Amino acid sequence: MTKAYEGPLTTKYIGTPNDLFDQSDDFWVINWPRTFTHHHTYGLLTPFFKGLTEGKLMATKCTNPECTENSTWLPPRADCPDCYARTEWVQVPSEGKIYAYTMLDYAGIGIEMETPYWQIDVQIDGVDTIFKGWLKQGKPVTGMPVKAEFRTENPTHTILDICWVPK
Amino acid sequence: MIKFGKGNLRVPQWSRRVFMVAGGCTPFRKYFPEYKLEELVMMGYKMMLEDNDLKLSPKEIKDSIQYAAYGEFADHFQDQLLCEAKIHDYLGLDPLWNTGIKTGGATGGAAMLNGCMAIASGYADCALVSGWERMDEVDTRAGNFYIATAACKDFETRMGRIYSSYYAPMANRFAEAYNLSEVTRAKVAVKNRGYAMSNPNAQQPGHHTVEEVLESRMSAYPLRFLECCAMTAGSASALLCNEEMAYKLSDHPVEIFMAGGTHTLRVADRRHMEIPLLPNEEPGQYDELLKESGRWPGFESFLAARFAAYLAYRMAGVHDPLEEMDLVELHDAFTISDIQTYGDIGLRPYGQEPDYIESGDAYFEGKCPSNLSGGLLGTMHAVGATGVWQACEVFWQLQDRYDYIHGDKKWWDRAGKEKPADWKSLQVKDPKQGLWISHAGVGSHVTCGILRKAW
Ligand SMILES: [Zn+2]
Repeated sequence: MTKAYEGPLTTKYIGTPNDLFDQSDDFWVINWPRTFTHHHTYGLLTPFFKGLTEGKLMATKCTNPECTENSTWLPPRADCPDCYARTEWVQVPSEGKIYAYTMLDYAGIGIEMETPYWQIDVQIDGVDTIFKGWLKQGKPVTGMPVKAEFRTENPTHTILDICWVPK
Repeated sequence: MIKFGKGNLRVPQWSRRVFMVAGGCTPFRKYFPEYKLEELVMMGYKMMLEDNDLKLSPKEIKDSIQYAAYGEFADHFQDQLLCEAKIHDYLGLDPLWNTGIKTGGATGGAAMLNGCMAIASGYADCALVSGWERMDEVDTRAGNFYIATAACKDFETRMGRIYSSYYAPMANRFAEAYNLSEVTRAKVAVKNRGYAMSNPNAQQPGHHTVEEVLESRMSAYPLRFLECCAMTAGSASALLCNEEMAYKLSDHPVEIFMAGGTHTLRVADRRHMEIPLLPNEEPGQYDELLKESGRWPGFESFLAARFAAYLAYRMAGVHDPLEEMDLVELHDAFTISDIQTYGDIGLRPYGQEPDYIESGDAYFEGKCPSNLSGGLLGTMHAVGATGVWQACEVFWQLQDRYDYIHGDKKWWDRAGKEKPADWKSLQVKDPKQGLWISHAGVGSHVTCGILRKAW
């Protein structure tokens, strides 16, 4: 049986003292740093992210003959929300047309692209959804044809491994 | 095209009538170091107990409460899990059951709906709804990143790390599809920030010009800083009752009808679907529009808002909201999302949204003024509190108490501000009913609540 330590104890503070961020006669505001790493799984969508590093754009499709929609999903999803069947992986064309766009000027902390840059939403033939991405060069116009570029070297293992350029 | 199941379209029915009898809020500020979170919640709660002409004492009301619904958007911001337990204890309400509600920007509306359900079901005769957010523990860019984790972390968050970048593509799309000018968008910001000048609790009041709005710093094209709401610390509370308790507590209770709708978190995942028609719309009315745009709701509209209004109007027997509502409070987190909503809730048919502003209907003394409170653009977006506070603002209007709540020196003193010499009353003349919209994500959750004078 594990026993509690029974010897004499003298305990030391081993933390890092917190600074005051702000203060007045009535209140103190302290600094409270937060840094740590999450471990995030891509689960059944892993083939999509792996596909990007291999230069392939992978979507999922519901092929259940009973399904009323048989939609093709990009972003992919492993389970069909219409009939609850498991979807199938399909490679879709790595080209499409711009459906909507914005230029990002002021981004939140940790942004990984140099600002400003164009964020675009791409409509792809045969896909029922509209896929968000970023335009590496050029100026977007609604309806403009674009093709995908993949970061197969030194991949980020994130959605940023795909971007778009004018076709 | 997605079609909805018949069973899914059932209109909710309360098992008994639901009333609101009181509201309260704090001043709203970017940075509020003078008070801890629970102290801010207490401030709004006490205003609710003490300043609504209730016929029982605060202690008697406290002794009458049986349930609490609490709205908080993000544990990230508070950096405290189970805030609900801390707040509930601080308000002295143990061992009454409480539920913490989280539905993004619609958290306040969802908390109100949850409180209504508690009353309607008979779980409680008297329920507290309280919402809060303290967004001042992190700097603005870190806050923007936190909020952007309410986009899909795998497919969207890294694309901007700021929520304006998820609305901006909709703004460009809407401009092209429905002929919306930048000037109309800017007018929304001018209007709401201007109305905030009359609100002692407002965080960002200002008499701006259209030019100033369009010349302000770009966040994500075409949305400028003055077209985006800010981050806020603050709280709001509302007291809900069944019929008997409502008239015991108040001579001026207000009846509530309320419902909600949802849609995909990722805008990408919106597929083409049938438009649920409002009571004053005709089948086939949108055939032409759909021929041009090809899909609904596309990036132009919100299924969640449309579905919430579809249900709420039928619950309340509303046929034409523009004619029947005396005022509305909409979720103007961005100028564009405010405008998009006009079509969803039937203030205009789809495709004619800009006309609600351009016609003057949306202004004070117009047909159906919107956001006389100053809205999210001018007054606050302490996210978990927002949908509760909007209900309070409509409620006070219906009680003809706008001038007391916004004009009494006591509230300007509480906010540490000088009441402006040119303070203007925005009390709507003899209002009968009003509506408020609480909205999350890029339209992931939306509630539509209707408040109707019941005396
Ligand atoms: Zn299916």
